[in-house]
Amino acid sequence: MNIRRRIVTVVSLFAIGAIAVVLWAPTVGSTSISLAKAFDRSIPWEENVDAQIFFVARLPRVLSGAIVGAALAAAGVVLQAMLRNPLATPFTLGVSAGGALGAMLAIAFGLEVGMMGVSSIPIASFAGSLLAIGIVYWLASSQKRGLSTNVLLLAGVTLNSFFSAVILFVQYMSDFTQSFRTVRWLMGDLDVGNYSPIIAALPFIVVAFGVFAVLPRTLNLLTLGEDVAAARGVEVVRAQRLAFLSASLATGAAVSLGGPIGFIGIVVPHLVRLMVGSDHRIVLPAATLFGAAFTVGCDLAARTIMAPLELPVGIITALIGGPFFLWLLVKKS
Amino acid sequence: MTKRPNTKATKVTKAFLLALLLFVVFVPFVLAFQRPQRIISLVPALTEMLYAVGAGPQVVAVSSYDEYPPEVKALPRVGALLDPDTERIIALKPDLVITYGSQVDLQAQMKRAIIPTFDYRHAGLAHILVTMTELGVRTGHGAEAEQAVAAIEARLAAVRARVAGKRRPKTLLVFSREPKTLRNIYVSGGRGFLHDMLEIAGGDDVFKDLDKESVQVSTETILARAPDVILELRPEEIPLGQPMQDELASWSRLASVPAVRNKQVLFISGHAVTVPGPRVAESVERMAKALHP
Amino acid sequence: MGKSLIQARETPGRRRAVLSAEQVSFRYAPDGPLVVDGVSVRLAEGALVGILGPNGSGKTTLLRLLSGTRRPSSGRVMLGDQPLDRLSRRDVARRIAVVPQETELAFEYSAIEIVLMGRHPHLGVFTVEGPEDIRIARDALAATGTTHLADRPFHELSGGEKQRIVIAAALAQSAALLLLDEPTASLDLGYQLEVSSLLRRLNQDHGVTMAISTHDLNLAAAICRELILMRDGRVLAAGPTEEVLTPENVRRLYDVEADVHVHSETGHLTVVPVRRVAR
Repeated sequence: MNIRRRIVTVVSLFAIGAIAVVLWAPTVGSTSISLAKAFDRSIPWEENVDAQIFFVARLPRVLSGAIVGAALAAAGVVLQAMLRNPLATPFTLGVSAGGALGAMLAIAFGLEVGMMGVSSIPIASFAGSLLAIGIVYWLASSQKRGLSTNVLLLAGVTLNSFFSAVILFVQYMSDFTQSFRTVRWLMGDLDVGNYSPIIAALPFIVVAFGVFAVLPRTLNLLTLGEDVAAARGVEVVRAQRLAFLSASLATGAAVSLGGPIGFIGIVVPHLVRLMVGSDHRIVLPAATLFGAAFTVGCDLAARTIMAPLELPVGIITALIGGPFFLWLLVKKS
Repeated sequence: MTKRPNTKATKVTKAFLLALLLFVVFVPFVLAFQRPQRIISLVPALTEMLYAVGAGPQVVAVSSYDEYPPEVKALPRVGALLDPDTERIIALKPDLVITYGSQVDLQAQMKRAIIPTFDYRHAGLAHILVTMTELGVRTGHGAEAEQAVAAIEARLAAVRARVAGKRRPKTLLVFSREPKTLRNIYVSGGRGFLHDMLEIAGGDDVFKDLDKESVQVSTETILARAPDVILELRPEEIPLGQPMQDELASWSRLASVPAVRNKQVLFISGHAVTVPGPRVAESVERMAKALHP
Repeated sequence: MGKSLIQARETPGRRRAVLSAEQVSFRYAPDGPLVVDGVSVRLAEGALVGILGPNGSGKTTLLRLLSGTRRPSSGRVMLGDQPLDRLSRRDVARRIAVVPQETELAFEYSAIEIVLMGRHPHLGVFTVEGPEDIRIARDALAATGTTHLADRPFHELSGGEKQRIVIAAALAQSAALLLLDEPTASLDLGYQLEVSSLLRRLNQDHGVTMAISTHDLNLAAAICRELILMRDGRVLAAGPTEEVLTPENVRRLYDVEADVHVHSETGHLTVVPVRRVAR
């Protein structure tokens, strides 16, 4: 029984799969392009349609999909472990509701807070997420015993309801076009057409993953129960703080980049656990890689199934996620 | 003895003249009872039509989004498509309410209150002119409506004539996108009055093969379709200088699109352009001027 | 079962693992009742102490205070000559292992994975369990007679099997102090005997200091050399088993009249309840 070898082998397999998907995805789409032409440096940039489609339309899209998928899947794994609840999602604790409210306010009031090539909506959305994180954290920390997961859950669910109500109110007050644009944003969209939003979101995701890297074995212990974990040497409050903050940061950045794409944060962790067991030292990296591949794949389907029309990527993830859960329920009972 | 036959004829003539007089005096009253005097319009396009056919003085209230003509700014507001204020509408005692075809609840309530409605359904450009004629008849301004419609048709014909024979550029008609980026781009498809306007103005809608009024398109599809001209419709005028540069900068990322290469990214501003009403002629003229200077 | 199970990692300058509570009190809510009220406990090295009392007497809470998962509202707990709250959880976990009453898993793990988690306090953040850790885990399984269950999913095991795995996980921690909360509660008679003798062996042959919270009087009488009787958060009596386990004390503790005498074959006290009495 060589644990290190098992971890390395399984994660490597997932890495190979994910890299393959990410490399293949930009080469296919609703328009057929010639890769040879796309990489032909001798053709001037303004005349090279194939290169433009590859580098301006598809590549940023695939990269966004990979980053959003990786972040949401990893955040899902971490939160499920911390809350000891397989039904937790990255959106359970109110982060995406805050992001949605920020985006909505930017759309409804035409806020102009864009900077460095990133438009207002992602920035406002991220600010909204930070606000939600702050409120939930403050509420849950005000208990004497440090971070209580019960209060965390309650605060998150309450914030979700409250923000949803405010969102409905803002939608009601907006005109028709704005209303429609918010509804559309809520379905998720990875067609960024630009590398700036990706670069803007990347530092936060890198920081979050830096914290994820030290959590896995601690997460294993946390799932046994707070007292048991503490008795085995885990600084429970500190671990929960790190888990909550890093997962929420990753979620906020992902939502600001691609909108609140649902089901990734819950389908991918479950699928991965079914495949590799519950040791988070394998589950966390594997889910990250699988989440990236899964999202890129769903976006590929979204942009080719009904070409030239496009489906919002959130619909594809929902169409896959819904039946998957039904199947899970049936299998378990 | 010569007067008797004259008296009989005179009596008949007098009776006839009296009847004629009464008829001439009373008919306007009768007609006035048929012509609605208190009109409420929930559809901004139809409000414009009302004023264009001369029914302006009969309008007593408009929707929350009405802006044109300037006279409507002083009028009370009664909500819009999603939130019509039924109480307020009834309180204003209208004798005609103009609704959207989809506002079935409101129509049912008006029926119960015995208030006649004129239900408008959205369609292409031809339908705008048909609606204007119908509205004219309904409000007792049939003749003026005919004249107004004829004038619009003449202007459209003039545009058609001017651009006939000229090369029709492949045009991307954008009516919505996220500011300063290329996300959530909505363009005109093969149906609807925007498409019709573009066709008359001498442009070839690059998405006319899609049988939809509005299409959300990706950067890839725009690159693939390579339009010669990009016409963006904006509610407000974009100031020259940095703001205009920023707007053009978003499109410049699609460097291979002919419209970008040949600096054919054009803006048409003002709410008039997206209202399917009488100002359609003006909008078509502006489009034609942009496409064929 | 070799000596290496417990003394696998010789920490340089290893101190005598004495655990003591000095006048500790605890309440869960700021204005709630005192669940533990002015209790003092002293575990000498190599002791095997039983904590007895009815439900609600504060036994479990006392164990929590002793293991450091709760801080006392007043008084303090000392591990050796250091206050418990000054030590990091890792340091404490290397010296004290806890066997909880129940283990609820949110996710599926195999038995050996659970046992290996006991090695956590000995591993660095990025360290993966090596052959030595795996050997310790397997020895722990062997000690509790659960080697054949190693690769079975934990949630498929019976109550008794689960309990033995949890004990094995605590053993894998290689701590010199073991705190157990109702260790034989869900075990068959046969396994009760096995676990009791395992605990006694660990204590006598390997010097593991133990405190066992239980309401099984006979178990306590069988293996514990000292007893602490608790009622309503206070210590009723404490001392060597023969002195403390008297009919008088049983009545004070449980409101039950009982017969207490030495069993001829096993040589330790047995308690047979006779009837209830009024308070």
